Amino acid sequence: MKSRYAYWLCQVLGWGSYALIGALFVTQHAPAARVAIGYGLYFLYSIALTHWLRGYVRRHGWLEKPDRLHHLPAYLAAWAVGFVQAGLVIAVDSLLSRGHSELWQPDVVGGAVFGISMVPLGWMAVYDAVTSGRRAKERELALRDAELRALELQINPHFLFNSLNSIRGLVIENPPLAQDLITRLANILRYNLHRDAGHTVPLDSELEAAADYLALESARYEERLRVHFAVAPETRAMAIPPMLVQTLVENAIKHGIAPLAEGGELHVGSAVEDGSLVLRVQNSGSLAPADAARAPLGLNNIRERLRILYGSRATLDLANREGRVTATVRIPQKI
Amino acid sequence: MRALIVDDERLARAELARLLAAHPDIEIAGESRNGEEALEQIARLDPDLVFLDIQMPGMTGFDLLERLEDVPQVIFTTAYNQYALRAFEVNALDYLLKPIAPARLAQALSRVRPRPRGARLEQVFVRDGDRCWIVRVPDIFLLESEGNYTRLYFANEHPLIRRSLNALEAQLDPALFFRAGRKEILNLKWIEKVNLAVSGGLTVILRGGRTVEMSRRQSARLREVLSL
Repeated sequence: MKSRYAYWLCQVLGWGSYALIGALFVTQHAPAARVAIGYGLYFLYSIALTHWLRGYVRRHGWLEKPDRLHHLPAYLAAWAVGFVQAGLVIAVDSLLSRGHSELWQPDVVGGAVFGISMVPLGWMAVYDAVTSGRRAKERELALRDAELRALELQINPHFLFNSLNSIRGLVIENPPLAQDLITRLANILRYNLHRDAGHTVPLDSELEAAADYLALESARYEERLRVHFAVAPETRAMAIPPMLVQTLVENAIKHGIAPLAEGGELHVGSAVEDGSLVLRVQNSGSLAPADAARAPLGLNNIRERLRILYGSRATLDLANREGRVTATVRIPQKI
Repeated sequence: MRALIVDDERLARAELARLLAAHPDIEIAGESRNGEEALEQIARLDPDLVFLDIQMPGMTGFDLLERLEDVPQVIFTTAYNQYALRAFEVNALDYLLKPIAPARLAQALSRVRPRPRGARLEQVFVRDGDRCWIVRVPDIFLLESEGNYTRLYFANEHPLIRRSLNALEAQLDPALFFRAGRKEILNLKWIEKVNLAVSGGLTVILRGGRTVEMSRRQSARLREVLSL
């Protein structure tokens, strides 16, 4: 709606100012009424013709390809419209001057027709520049959206099958726990498969999904995985990218706790610091020197998503201290 | 037959043990929670068959196999998909995807044979970068010394194993493997042709086209062995 309004404004202002300047130039050579009517009509049919031209070009999609060479038919059509305009200009002027139009002189008419016919080419150049810019922006947005979608990690099949294997064992050993885990697995699948189209979710739903995930991993690792949550209540409604907590937790288990024969502690915490939401996932273990240089895939993925969504304002840091690895995510909150 | 279950997850071990209860010919000799335990139990229990998880803390299933001198029959149990597993190019006896289907387990077990007990090397595990193989020793047609390592030739592969040729020779069946020279041992079953070289020694052409030149002394010995 906004761009439609802008289009008509540009049409009126563009052709209006062009006609006005033209009229001011010739006003001393011809009667004022003839100039006013001639340029007034020129203003009106120019808008009508170029509006029709715009519809025609859009129907044929002549300006939609990124390659400018493919826009050529649109410019040829604009030129053709220019000849129609030239015909109208000369016809109207001839009528108004009762057959004494200066434009209809043999030594003038060629240049006049050519000159007038070029004007819609300028119009098309402006129109092309504006719409191409907008299309490039749209393409960029679509690309960004696709990138985000690709990065919003899907459920890890390794996790899924290990969970199912644990549940299979628990069906005989501990049926109530098996039932609970099937429900939690269903929650996780639903969270993965039926997430809203948005690129952020409230922290609360992330924590719920992470709790389900950790319940399943706890069944698998048993006493080797010890989980602690410390969530600041005021952070629960804050927006974060989906699957962020789970990716951090998954990473902490995979690279931190799973390699430890005796297992370890996992702390998940949230707080507000300096107006930013701060998420911390801490696990026992230490970063292998190779890991420090080359962050695991999951963490790179989070960094990329944060960059697309928040630019440089959001960060993910990985720190290795006293037998603990801490992943810290800072996400600015709109004030 | 005696089997060892190696998996870091108690539930996974318990589940496999329950599935194996349907197969009275398989006796569960033990269970290991990690590679270290498995190394000790394989040495002590000498199982015919090992059910081996790949992802384990400390030592992966592959790390474990690499540390075994002689490799028993191995069935991998994993939550990886078969495509990911195929990437390792391990020709294990079989692999079972978790959760394990009872029919698939029965199928895998049908390929298990009691393991001959003896001093001879049955299978070795070799790793070369991302790829690894469990190689049946009779499938090796040539062993070539490279310092403290030995290059094994089998199928279309020739990876290096971290053992010396002399150490390997002590465990090879002398009726099958012949020391062709200082640096080579060849598999007699894989000889296609023997040519007389200009030097008076023999040149052996193995199936697959590899040729091995032999000294006069070893040529005389080969003549003896082959004419027997």
